[in-house]
Amino acid sequence: MKNYIIKRLLYIIPVIFGVCFIIFVLFNLVGGDPTHMLLGKHATAQQMEELRRTLGLDRPLLYQYFDIVKSAFTFDFGRSWNTKQEISTMIMDGAIPSLSVSLPGFILSSILGLIISVVVAYYRGRKIDTVVRIACIAGMSISSLAYILFFQWFFAYKLSLFEISGYEYGFPNFLPYILLPSIIWIILSIGPDVRFYRTVILDEIYQDYVRTARAKGLSEIVILLKHVLKNAMIPIITYVVIQLPFLILGALLLESFFSIPGLGGITLNALNSSDFPVIKAMAVLSAVAYILFSLLSDILYTVFDPRIKLK
Amino acid sequence: MFGLKSIFIQSVLLSSLFLIGCTKKQDLTEKVIYNVSAANLLSLDPILCSNVYCSKEISRVYESLLEFHYLKRPYTLVPNLASEMPKVSEDGLTYTFKLRDDVFFHDNACFKDGKGRKMVAKDVVFSIKRLADAKNISNNWWLLDGKLVGLNEWRTKYSSKESNFEEVVEGLKAIDDSTVQFKLTKKFPQFLYSLAMTATNVVPREAVEKYGKEFTNHMVGTGPFITGEFKTKNKLVFTKNPNFRKKLYPSEGEPGDKEKGFLKHAGKQLPLVDKIITSIATEAQTRWLGFQKANYDFVEVPKDNFDQVVLPDLSLNSDYAKKGIDLMMEADLDTTYIAFNHDDPIFKDNPKLKQAMSMAYDHDEANKLFYNNTAQLAHGPIPPGIAGHDPSFKNPSKVFDIEGAKKKLAEAGYPEGKGLPVLTYEYKADTVGRQMADFFSKNMKKIGITVKTNGNTWPQLTTKIKKRQAQMWGIAWVGDYPDAENFLQLFYGPNSAPGANGSNFNDSLFNALFEKATVMQDSPERTKLYKELNGYIADKMPWLFGVHRQRIFLKHDWLDNFKFTVFPYGREAYLDVDLEKKAKLLKNF
Repeated sequence: MKNYIIKRLLYIIPVIFGVCFIIFVLFNLVGGDPTHMLLGKHATAQQMEELRRTLGLDRPLLYQYFDIVKSAFTFDFGRSWNTKQEISTMIMDGAIPSLSVSLPGFILSSILGLIISVVVAYYRGRKIDTVVRIACIAGMSISSLAYILFFQWFFAYKLSLFEISGYEYGFPNFLPYILLPSIIWIILSIGPDVRFYRTVILDEIYQDYVRTARAKGLSEIVILLKHVLKNAMIPIITYVVIQLPFLILGALLLESFFSIPGLGGITLNALNSSDFPVIKAMAVLSAVAYILFSLLSDILYTVFDPRIKLK
Repeated sequence: MFGLKSIFIQSVLLSSLFLIGCTKKQDLTEKVIYNVSAANLLSLDPILCSNVYCSKEISRVYESLLEFHYLKRPYTLVPNLASEMPKVSEDGLTYTFKLRDDVFFHDNACFKDGKGRKMVAKDVVFSIKRLADAKNISNNWWLLDGKLVGLNEWRTKYSSKESNFEEVVEGLKAIDDSTVQFKLTKKFPQFLYSLAMTATNVVPREAVEKYGKEFTNHMVGTGPFITGEFKTKNKLVFTKNPNFRKKLYPSEGEPGDKEKGFLKHAGKQLPLVDKIITSIATEAQTRWLGFQKANYDFVEVPKDNFDQVVLPDLSLNSDYAKKGIDLMMEADLDTTYIAFNHDDPIFKDNPKLKQAMSMAYDHDEANKLFYNNTAQLAHGPIPPGIAGHDPSFKNPSKVFDIEGAKKKLAEAGYPEGKGLPVLTYEYKADTVGRQMADFFSKNMKKIGITVKTNGNTWPQLTTKIKKRQAQMWGIAWVGDYPDAENFLQLFYGPNSAPGANGSNFNDSLFNALFEKATVMQDSPERTKLYKELNGYIADKMPWLFGVHRQRIFLKHDWLDNFKFTVFPYGREAYLDVDLEKKAKLLKNF
């Protein structure tokens, strides 16, 4: 397993080269000229040239590409071109608010989703199953923006049950501000979660070993919880763990409407202002997080299914 | 003993209590202005901030030599850190300022013993050299670029090595501790406006050196409010500067100010409130709901909520008036337009084509659709409120006349649009941008012109304009200072892209007259010339002129002295909160 982990970690290297290449190409071909954004509406050709020199954008493309690779490997992304803030500090400051909304929402929606799925799998084909399936599809058909607009207006404004917006750093100061966004997160996630978990559980329920268990006289609930759920864990782990990197990156709309200073907003601002160092940092961070969490899911497979060996 | 029902009821009650405890109550023991910013703050360093959002926050802490009088209109410059308006030499090139001798920087660890020292002329010189320093990449350098004798040379000399701030620059001198002298390379009366802008705010060298690149997060100024380190990026808290110099609320304003209660605090020491809390809320619904919950003291009415608030006769809906909410509607200093790229031979020497397009465009309908019918139609580039705007001037092409437009189009050489290729209109890809693009395209179709619309991100759109790749695009210009020169320079040939003249209009007669106007002091002759230039541009039509927009605000009645200004820098020092009224009115929310 040790060799497998080392091998997978080494995969990060070509992936970073690839990610850097893609963002470099996108930045140079698709993104706007950052000097226009940085110098504003009065920029002159001379000022833009000076700035290009200062930012190192006049150097050969290969040098510029390797600069990106270097900062990706050292995790030193410097300062934002736009805000002049240190990017590592921006990420640290933004990750906490993002996680404080996404993590509780994610954990609760995963647990709730799993419980509901087990229940509907148990009552498969009956009224409760149909109702839950219809509710999930109906819930998923409504855009996330509609949920946010309505919940903010109704629960925060009309009923005054929550803060309309804002964020305070530190526990428990942030609690009043994350309650409503977390609830919305749960509602947004629960539909797809239940549908996925239900499908996975039902796939298992018709396996031969379940028939054998029934023949042995085990109760349906024991079969579900002890055998089916355990065997369904592999796709469930993949599904859950692969979502983890996106929790750190934040939920753009939720953060924006509830004025939560998370990473979603930082990324959006960077994209809107051609703030390349920040875009670069966020892209590299996502890629690395994705690899690490997919490795984690592989390791977790061996925990849930000892037959799996990582080589 | 306890039934399921009882447990359920208790749980619901407990949850409700918990949730109700989640919403905060306002503190009424001190005067606090609750402010909301519609955009994230880019920087709190004066030389790096170039938009109204960060400028508003910065100007609570930092100050400049001059400022706009809080009440007088038209906008009038008055001394701020200067003790009087500058003495201008006869040739109009040298400006000598005397500084106040009671201005001190805020107490901060950057100073000896943490005690703020007196501000002197060297601080002014240092602050302006910081703006000029190429290594600082200031987007405000355009303000002084080429304007002060020797400053460009100083900038070039130190562009790639450590700057020597002690080196004397001929055009920027500290004569003694209380005298600063500026020497211009050529006459430019608008120069004084740059000394009222945040980019030229005075900062102490000690703070810049102590905090280095982190200076943007440590504001150390001379202004009426102080603030701690900028850590929480979604909120700023400013407290009253206890050592602020004697600065009084003005005793005179424009006619009608007294009746409107704007002189109630005349002669009182500033600032009038104890604290300002600025929250950042980038979504219109968030700001709107927050204001209606009394979380913010004033708000700009979102376009989509206009009909809910303002009645057809432009008065306030009584539901809001009953709660003690006031409506304010004021003209902004801006012009919206559709620009034509004059690098394109189709537009270059063919004013009739552009006039035809203007006549095919339903200006009134656009005003209704996009500005709730509150904007003033623009007949030329110069907006109302500044010298050069002529309210009686009517642009003959600013009429919706399809038959007339068709006739003009034929005169332009494209009868029924024949021979004219498909034109491309670029827009910023948001909802309103898309609607405006479709509206323009639909209007042009009526006279046989086919317009393809193309959505862009903001960086893509600006890049296309600066690289002269866009053919037509919708945009607006908001005045940097209250002088028509700031609008007319958008047609000055040497300012062509990547400069501010994105439409690349280059007309020798216009250029000559503009050059003549820019060196003239404010006078009836200059105003006459501005009007002539406005008419000339209206005829040549480098733009399809849109509107001059109105700003529509709501404020709670407990907020006193809130007078609309296009330049709201330092405004909060003049505002007051009537706590008694607030306590009473808060019951309505």
